[in-house]
Amino acid sequence: MTDPILEVRDLQTHFFTADGVVRAVDGVSFEVYEEEIVGIVGESGAGKSVAAASIMRLVEDPGEVVGGEVSFKGEPIVEFEETEAGTRRPTDAMLSNREMRERIRGREIAIIFQDPMESLNPVFTVGGQLREFIEINRDVGESEAREIAVEMLREVGIPEPRERLDDYPHQFSGGMRQRVLIAMALSCEPSLIIADEPTTALDVTVEGQILEQVADLQEKYGTSFIWVTHDLGVVAEICDRVNVMYLGQMAEQAAVDALFHDTRHPYTDALLDSLPRPDRTVEELRPIAGVMPEAINPPSGCRFHTRCPDAREVCRQVNPDARDVSESDERPHRAACLKHEDVFHEDYWSSPPIDNETDSGFAVGRTDAGGSGDE
Amino acid sequence: MGIYRYTIRRLLQAIPVMLGVITITFFLANAIPGDPVQILLGPSPSQSEIAAIRARYGLNQPLWQRYINYVLGVLQGDLGRSIFYGERVTAKIAERMGPTLLLMSSSYAFAILTAIPLGVISAKRRNKPTDHASRLVSLVGVSTPSFWIGLMFILVFSFHLQVLPSTNLVMPWANPTEIRSAATRLDVLVMSARHLVMPMVSLGTLQMAALTRIERSSMLEVLSEEYVQLARAYGVTESTILRKHAFRNAQLPIITILGLQLTSLIGGAVLIETVFQINGMGKLIVNSIFRQDYPLIMGTTIVFGVVFVVGVIVTDLSYAYIDPRVTYDEVD
Amino acid sequence: MATTGSTSDEVLDTDEGVGEADSEIESRVGWRYTLGQVKGDPTALAGLVVICFMSGLAAFATLDAVVFDYLSEYAVFAQFGMRKYWIAETFWISPVKEPLGARRLLPPAPLDNAYGQGTWDHPLGTDDRGRDILVRLVYGSRIAISVGAIATVVGMVGGTVVGAVAGYYGGWVDDVLMRAVETLYAIPFFILVLSFIAVFGRNLAFVMVGVGIASIPTFSRLIRSEVVSVREEDYIEAAEAAGVRDRNIIARHVIPNSFAPVLVQGTLQIGTAILIVAGLSFLGFGVQPPTPSWGQMLSKSRGVMIENVWFSIWPGLCILVTVVAFNMFGDGLRDALDPRLKN
Repeated sequence: MTDPILEVRDLQTHFFTADGVVRAVDGVSFEVYEEEIVGIVGESGAGKSVAAASIMRLVEDPGEVVGGEVSFKGEPIVEFEETEAGTRRPTDAMLSNREMRERIRGREIAIIFQDPMESLNPVFTVGGQLREFIEINRDVGESEAREIAVEMLREVGIPEPRERLDDYPHQFSGGMRQRVLIAMALSCEPSLIIADEPTTALDVTVEGQILEQVADLQEKYGTSFIWVTHDLGVVAEICDRVNVMYLGQMAEQAAVDALFHDTRHPYTDALLDSLPRPDRTVEELRPIAGVMPEAINPPSGCRFHTRCPDAREVCRQVNPDARDVSESDERPHRAACLKHEDVFHEDYWSSPPIDNETDSGFAVGRTDAGGSGDE
Repeated sequence: MGIYRYTIRRLLQAIPVMLGVITITFFLANAIPGDPVQILLGPSPSQSEIAAIRARYGLNQPLWQRYINYVLGVLQGDLGRSIFYGERVTAKIAERMGPTLLLMSSSYAFAILTAIPLGVISAKRRNKPTDHASRLVSLVGVSTPSFWIGLMFILVFSFHLQVLPSTNLVMPWANPTEIRSAATRLDVLVMSARHLVMPMVSLGTLQMAALTRIERSSMLEVLSEEYVQLARAYGVTESTILRKHAFRNAQLPIITILGLQLTSLIGGAVLIETVFQINGMGKLIVNSIFRQDYPLIMGTTIVFGVVFVVGVIVTDLSYAYIDPRVTYDEVD
Repeated sequence: MATTGSTSDEVLDTDEGVGEADSEIESRVGWRYTLGQVKGDPTALAGLVVICFMSGLAAFATLDAVVFDYLSEYAVFAQFGMRKYWIAETFWISPVKEPLGARRLLPPAPLDNAYGQGTWDHPLGTDDRGRDILVRLVYGSRIAISVGAIATVVGMVGGTVVGAVAGYYGGWVDDVLMRAVETLYAIPFFILVLSFIAVFGRNLAFVMVGVGIASIPTFSRLIRSEVVSVREEDYIEAAEAAGVRDRNIIARHVIPNSFAPVLVQGTLQIGTAILIVAGLSFLGFGVQPPTPSWGQMLSKSRGVMIENVWFSIWPGLCILVTVVAFNMFGDGLRDALDPRLKN
């Protein structure tokens, strides 16, 4: 197997708020290989979007990437070293802001945001915005950029692309705008596109069409994708591999088939149980008990133990990292759950179970609101 | 709908407002106690003199008759005759209009040209020393009486340093031959600029401060928009983002405010004209209130009302011009 | 003009996302929260301290200049020697009388001029008629604060009623009222007040009412936009369904729930009103001499500007400090009510 194009190791992004430090991303590792679509799944607040923004170094104040490594095709986007005083500081090798801007953003990694209504500047024409980004990232002149824009709009399924270049964003529907944004990303010919819940704001039929189109285009251009979503249905449809995040950490990482059919983490199980499926009735849906605790004050031990049906005493003490629990697969299947005693050696099975139904120690575990993976 | 039809519709909509302005000013002015004729003719005029004057100004008619006559007159561009000056009100206003418009427009120019950079820098360096300084300036600016700024300027620059003249505003379009110590057009322009700078800054400070605050908050809001973040994600430089992607959007509220601030600008002009003894509309209206010169009070107020209404319409038009989301149909 | 109004409201005023609570109980919690926020804001607190100080001075001056004047009509009080400026004349200096052999003095700093050296008896120097400036500033605070506050209350009440009725009923009532407000707004504020004073005389009460009426458009537009959104809330519909009378719905539900931004605007408006009153006094349309007011002192100072620079500085500083305080406190309130707009 070739080297990954993107490697994220132990990434930590914290938000320094007046109420305390929010560990939005707290030690996350994953990688993206060439020509694959990698999903990042989780409930809202799990830190998926922050992780995505951290890769681009676009975390906004008061947030800050405080630790870990991100390397893209061997170049250090994020890299820290220990000082003598024991604090961390960015290494000299880490790309400067200028290098990020000139070499990485747009050129190598492009991003598509969740809300197509907010992502386009209302006072400029769609064509103007496309052209500007193409000119910056492809080193082409105005007229050539225009041709690329037209071609790409046609590719993503916008009728009469040449005429529509001079239209303003408000003259497009939500689905059409998202297509424009996808065209924008593809037209810069990056190696990696980060799609941050790009279809969440759209209705289901449009979402389906766009997913199909993205899958086709991905094949055609060979671009890698990171697809951030809270919807396992989308993951099943489009992704090759999946990373399930819970409260700033990785719960499970596996190939799509393995994740769905050989689930190794109770949280993923719970997510799958809460997913509406054509082969099940509403009565069979089981929403996840409780709401996700806040990242400002995460539970001790395994972060999921407050809502986990399989939680045991040991889960309160030990916070597992995601380790390979696969038997003999060609690809690793990682899970962060002490259940896999042969990997974690924490005496899980001899530890007394926690009854999350009656345990009043964690008030958050008792609300029945929210629940399903669908927010 | 085209821009012309839109403009016409806005002008038509302004008619009831202007009619209201005329009505309010007419009845307010006519309710002013005291007899202007008495003031005009001195302590003991003869009955026939009074009757003649009253007949001349139509004061012998009943109030409603005078109101209807006045409205009809205004529609024909006739604002009546000033009691004190004996001239046509329109002529008097035309004579005084220049200095006031010069003062107001230069103050607005000053305010816009200082507020926009100040607000942008403030937003860009949020919570840094530059930002704190600019916020302090705008806080003090909105809180200082304009006429006091004028007085302080006179104190420092006219009395103490003796570098700037404090009275006798010279208009830039004045004839060089009529002005002493000015030989050429350039001399007149320089003189005029030297005269104008203190009134301009005194009057413009409040507007500058108000605009700076709005520019800053509006810029901050735009800078946190997703499309700005997207531009960043595509490698656009920070300065281009500021100049291009954020700037235009951030000006929308400024444009709206410019129209509405006209009313405070006019009020300020009254005071500043008094401080710097500029013979403009502001001084005219204050003096006519003292002299109870009804036709002149009404005329000036109506003209100020027109200035305001036209200003707001121009504002709306330019708003629609800058923001493509606003079509002329939707603005209502 | 309706569009411009609403757009500007969004910018100037915190009419969205204020998060006012739905029920009265919750809204009280909201207010407590707001006050808590303000407590943590040093600028707003500083503003509040200055406002309290100035209001205290103004209250004292009102007692001495107005209340005693009124009570002295009655023999019961007159026999104690109660009169206008009783306190000032007994313990300090009369703010209005020219002292015998009055001297015009500079502040007691090492500043020499034709007027001679100042003394600590007159720490800020004396005015064009030899009266102590400090005492006149103290008594002048009465005009600024009382006119500012009362005019704002008049504008707030008038504007709230007009805006609430227009916003609640909508339709032609809305059209007529808002057109009227636009008309009022089209006459420049200052000139409207000037004509108003010209008609009713230079009485202090009419100055207050005039400034108040001229500020009605600001408030009515603001509260109307609030009401239009509050009107759609479920609890209003519930009250309507329950047969509560319109007048009660407006008074008990609509206005209290739209009031937060009006209060913020009100605080800022007091500052504006103080500036306007100072301007009016400066032109000679305010309180008449010898009653001291800051604007009128500035007007008088023009005559002796070269000889006594300080005379024209003190009253201006007083206005500046007071208005800054109202603006700082108003901004603090606004931030507390809508944290989204902060910084």
